[in-house]
Amino acid sequence: MDKKKMKILVVVEVVVLVALIVVLMMLKGGYEETAKRSSNEQVKNYLDKNTQVLVDQWRAVDQYSMAWKLVHTVLSGAKTEAAFNTSLAAIQADKDARFKQISHLYSSVGINADVQNGIFKKAGLVEESILLKNEKTSKEVACGQNCVVKFNFVKGKLKNVDYSALIQYNLANSLKIEKPAEFRFE
Amino acid sequence: MNLKNIFIALTVLVFGVIALFFMQKSGYADQAKANYEKNTNASYKGNSMVFDLVNTAIETNKGTWAIACEALQTVKNTQDMAKLEAKFFPATKGSMSITNKTRRFEANSSNVIVSNFAKVEENKTTGVKSLAGLLSVDVSVLLGNVVAAAESEEGSEEGEEE
Repeated sequence: MDKKKMKILVVVEVVVLVALIVVLMMLKGGYEETAKRSSNEQVKNYLDKNTQVLVDQWRAVDQYSMAWKLVHTVLSGAKTEAAFNTSLAAIQADKDARFKQISHLYSSVGINADVQNGIFKKAGLVEESILLKNEKTSKEVACGQNCVVKFNFVKGKLKNVDYSALIQYNLANSLKIEKPAEFRFE
Repeated sequence: MNLKNIFIALTVLVFGVIALFFMQKSGYADQAKANYEKNTNASYKGNSMVFDLVNTAIETNKGTWAIACEALQTVKNTQDMAKLEAKFFPATKGSMSITNKTRRFEANSSNVIVSNFAKVEENKTTGVKSLAGLLSVDVSVLLGNVVAAAESEEGSEEGEEE
């Protein structure tokens, strides 16, 4: 190869090299930003999804606690439809007592106040009434996720209460904390 | 000759820079993956622990509530109560106070119910005392009113075994 051609090749190669270095520098910033954004987004999505399970669990425990209190109050008291209505309204309205009952259950297994307050801040207490069905002879209340307690009345008197769903209640059947998915660099 | 050497050196450099492209991308991807795994695994571990603990708490709690609610419908005396306790917690037995006419069942310190009875009965043959006429089942502890229920137990004494 003659010297002139070799010179041209060297110049071309220098130009290619410089261009590659420029592209590399440009991509460096892009990669860094993509990596940070991608990681942060996926972490946030997972934490949101994960925390939502604890929020749903808290709310389910709120319904569960109210349902047990209602069953006990109705069975302890007058056992009438009127007593049921009064008890239900009083239990739902007493938000301090509801928080206390949930907090007591969480504390019983050593979950500290900071963790409880963190979940409570996001979950609050269930706003909707737990009364799902309200007929003269038949009433149903929610007692958590996929859990219903049934009260039957005859002429305003309690005939029976079916709280077998509460006795068999298992939150792990309806809620689950998922393992983190594989990270995707995108 | 010099130009040839420069050409070879530049060619090596070009391939080196191309290799850097891939290494750079892989380096950032690894860093991002490490950050993702560190944060998500910590969250998974912490939240799973809370989730499982609450489910465990419910297991004991629902059994205690079930005793209280079934007692109100079926229990007449402390023998009935003992059978009911054994149905839900075979390994745990309640304690009776003849003085206070109460029977206290404690699944654990957070799951306690106290049954109040109307009268003391004595088996004339065996002399064993028991309580009869269930009046109420106090669930204050289950509702979180731990102090009140604990105070009410002060001064209680053990009754005779059924």
